[in-house]
Amino acid sequence: MKSSIVKAVGVASILTLAAGGLTACSSDTTSGGSAGGDGKVKEIEVWTWAAGYDESAKIFNDTHDDIKIKYTQIEPGNKGGYDKIRNSITAGNAPCIAQVGFETLPSFVAEGNVVDVTESAGKDKDLYAPAGWAGVNVGGKTYGAPQDQGPMVLFYNKTVFEANGVAVPTTWAEYQAAGEKLKAAGIKLTGTYEDYDYSGFAWQAGAPWYEIKDGAWSITPDSPANLEVADYWQGLIDADVIGAGIWSDDWAAGLGDGSIATIVGAAWFAGILKDSAAASSGDWAVAELPQWKAGDARTGNVGGSLSAVLKGCDDPEAAWTVANWISTDPASVDELVKGGGVYPASVAGLESELLATGDDYFGGQVISDVFKTASGQVNEDWAWGPGVSTLVGTLGTGMKQAYAKEGGATVATALTGAREATVSELKQQGIAVNE
Amino acid sequence: MTTSLTSAAPPPVETKRAATTPPKRPRSRTSRYAIWFVGPFVVLFVGMYVAPILFAIYKSMFRIQRDALGLGGTQEIFDPLFNYAYALGDSTFIESIGRVLLFGVVQVPVMLGLALGIALLIDSASARAKGFFRLSSFAPYAVPTVVSALMWSFLYSPTNNPFNQLLGLFGLDINFLSQDFALWAVANVVTWGWTGYNMIIIYAALQGVPGEVLEAAKLDGASPWRTAWSIKIPLVRPAILLTTIFSIIGSAQLYNEPFVLKQSTGAIDASYTPIMAAQASLQSANYPYAAAQSVLLAVGVAVLSVLFFRLTSRRSS
Amino acid sequence: MTTSTAPVRAEKTAGNRQRRKRTDAKGSQGSTGGLRGDSIETTATSRIAVTAVLALTAVYFLFPLWWLFVAATKDAGYTFAGSPLWFSNFDLFGNIGDLFAYKDGIFAVWMANSALYSIVGAGLGTLIAVSTGYALAKYEFRGKGVLFGVVLGAVLIPKVLFTLPLFLMFSATGIVNTYLAVLLPSIVSPFGVYLGRIFAASSVPDEVIEAARLDGASEGRIFFGVSLKMMAPALVTIFLFQFVEIWNNFLLPSQVLISENLRPVTVGLVSWNALVQAGQIERHMVIIGAFVAVVPLIVAFLSLQRFWRSGLAAGAIK
Repeated sequence: MKSSIVKAVGVASILTLAAGGLTACSSDTTSGGSAGGDGKVKEIEVWTWAAGYDESAKIFNDTHDDIKIKYTQIEPGNKGGYDKIRNSITAGNAPCIAQVGFETLPSFVAEGNVVDVTESAGKDKDLYAPAGWAGVNVGGKTYGAPQDQGPMVLFYNKTVFEANGVAVPTTWAEYQAAGEKLKAAGIKLTGTYEDYDYSGFAWQAGAPWYEIKDGAWSITPDSPANLEVADYWQGLIDADVIGAGIWSDDWAAGLGDGSIATIVGAAWFAGILKDSAAASSGDWAVAELPQWKAGDARTGNVGGSLSAVLKGCDDPEAAWTVANWISTDPASVDELVKGGGVYPASVAGLESELLATGDDYFGGQVISDVFKTASGQVNEDWAWGPGVSTLVGTLGTGMKQAYAKEGGATVATALTGAREATVSELKQQGIAVNE
Repeated sequence: MTTSLTSAAPPPVETKRAATTPPKRPRSRTSRYAIWFVGPFVVLFVGMYVAPILFAIYKSMFRIQRDALGLGGTQEIFDPLFNYAYALGDSTFIESIGRVLLFGVVQVPVMLGLALGIALLIDSASARAKGFFRLSSFAPYAVPTVVSALMWSFLYSPTNNPFNQLLGLFGLDINFLSQDFALWAVANVVTWGWTGYNMIIIYAALQGVPGEVLEAAKLDGASPWRTAWSIKIPLVRPAILLTTIFSIIGSAQLYNEPFVLKQSTGAIDASYTPIMAAQASLQSANYPYAAAQSVLLAVGVAVLSVLFFRLTSRRSS
Repeated sequence: MTTSTAPVRAEKTAGNRQRRKRTDAKGSQGSTGGLRGDSIETTATSRIAVTAVLALTAVYFLFPLWWLFVAATKDAGYTFAGSPLWFSNFDLFGNIGDLFAYKDGIFAVWMANSALYSIVGAGLGTLIAVSTGYALAKYEFRGKGVLFGVVLGAVLIPKVLFTLPLFLMFSATGIVNTYLAVLLPSIVSPFGVYLGRIFAASSVPDEVIEAARLDGASEGRIFFGVSLKMMAPALVTIFLFQFVEIWNNFLLPSQVLISENLRPVTVGLVSWNALVQAGQIERHMVIIGAFVAVVPLIVAFLSLQRFWRSGLAAGAIK
């Protein structure tokens, strides 16, 4: 068997070599980090999905002579971006730096797809907000530069709230009550939260999905603490106060015409909201996330990403320099804030002038004040683990069914399904899992 | 495919050749040249078909092994049957196979029935504007499957779709992408795209039915129905069998349509069809398992096709 | 080559004697009595019934395309406004302008890539398939039976299943993310070989080949100068089958290509659809893109249909 395989592969490679002439002229990507031009200038390839990086790269290239950035925009991670990054790593022509969500980093670590840059990065730790720095470290090693964070807040349509006599809710109970009141006026309280968007609720409630116990992973999206959160959202579904699916056209339309009154989500929803619902400019406002217990001040985090240094990068130190610059250079951060509406993870970023001014879309409110408060209140007992894409992917499917009230699906069954799929996958790969 | 009619009646030219030409002389002459004619194909075939199959089999015999917490990178350990054993116990994978079997059992007959019906109607004496109808059913074949799936995903969208505006008149409101309908929504996209293709093949075969036979049937007083059922259909049977085989293979590789529609509904998950399941394994960077799933599927399709061949050829002989 | 004409004529008359070819409505009907006889006997009711049923099917097949056309003409932001099946806020040309202006005309690059993959892939593929089929039909050589058996077997294996191992192999050899990564697998078409063999067996008489040999023509010259011409309709048929298959291809290019500039239009459009969900591109771009991607193929089909049907019919009859 073995020899015939070797032979077959040999034939194939001869074939491909023979065709090499054509390859040479049709290949248009240089592999990440390869030296370009005169041999002294280092080219670092960067892939992200968030907007604004192209402008940031231009500034970098204008101000640096020894290193140049080659920038490419890719699809968002779970919409094909991660596939593309993984494929390019397997193919051996990955960029040096790619945007990776905090939640996906442990999977990338598990697959051996990222490079440990602890040595280069250690000195720059203080340039970042703690919540951001926590996101780029897995098992005590650093894998890239924090890019943005996603402290959760409440976006609400102030005009709709006032017209219907609804006060800004400070607890989840009040939030549900607001939903009932709006329902009477034919307005949906909010859209759906299906995958990562839902994880933030568990995060706030201190109900982790991943824990390490006795040298093995516990996968706990349907733990008792999680089921309490699930019960609450199931209650909202049963009360019929939840509207169109998140990210859908109907959702965007509902945000714009006032028929969907709130978004409970990360700071970066500010940018999404402006794009999706330009028509309702001036109507929206931001408040802190409702609490489980009145008087608490806890929130969760959704999203947040890093510029990860990928396997195969031939100069991780230069890569770190670039990643660090993108996240901390004031001019660069301004471009990211303008372009993608990200909420920065670096100290310099948080001090950006752009964040300190009132936003007309939000009726002149300085929304970053709310974000900054929230950023300091993010629960610290949350960690992501390997197999996240399966966990969240399965959850997303189950949640869609729960929202559609199909086949007896509930939030709780969706969470259980997600756990089962994840446990099965981790076991298959020889990872220790607690039942 | 159209050519499949030949399999019913052996190609006349070849039999004639065997009878008339002495076998020895051309053999020595042509065998020297044959290499130039088949060489390029054989080389590419080995590179693009044989090598990948062997490579997939080889790859599938490894098992992914990570350390206890899975944070220390990946090792591949030789464990020939591990992935196969896992696949047989992997409920999502098994479910995806069952789903596609159900799909095939329903969609293939519906599509081919439709294709045969349209072909017979266009072929019938009563049809008018034959060219137009032939082209209209064939037009969807020119639309790439992902594009037709994109198009239908808009048409299925719960709020904007024109069907529900129509159905609304009757007080109906159907969510085509709900759990109950999703598989049939996918089936509809496939049927829409491929009916015309199959119709053209059957129609081309119908064109080959000798006029004398039909005239004879008419003289015997056979109704158009009877002619279609007892004369035309049996005569185009090879074309129907061939379209069936191709449709079975098509079902087995169902990917594009559900992949695109997945964006719009929770009823279609990442492992909806076997190919999607293999792609999902890829997404979690488990190449050996993805390879094992592909191998299993290839074997399954081959077995099904051979079974189908056996069944139909036994009945015809 | 004077010798070659006589056998051809002989073959043709033989064919005519064996079976009279029924022409369809568009063709020069009336050449045979049979068809005329048919149409005389049809009743008005049956004509209406048959046409009505066919009209229904035509509605099914055409209305999504009509919807796509109408949606593509609507101005940005009005894609879902007004009737989905009738024009409003007409701005087709503005939309097409937007489409080709987006990201420095990346859409045009995708279309060009699709054309390149399909034309080069199907062109080379047809030539290789036909030459192989020709050899299988006309030559004797060792391993002929095995080769044909393997080809038949390969027709039965879904091509998609090769995507993953090809990707890994291409990665190992550095061929990934090049035009070749899509072209090489696309060129190989076992089904094309199968068709090629049947077409060669039925449309190239042995007498023609023998006569050419007696004239001293080389085998290559016979193939390119004589046989290929006689197989012209078959070539078009195989080319079109393969062209459509490659134009349709999605999984392979989406797996083996990484840079945006190499993508065919199918992969590009699906990536746009993903970006719509993330709020990075407007939905109407996907709809216009889908419309523009479909038009060239439909036009190509309409203009080539004469050739391609004759190939099919020839294949089906012979």
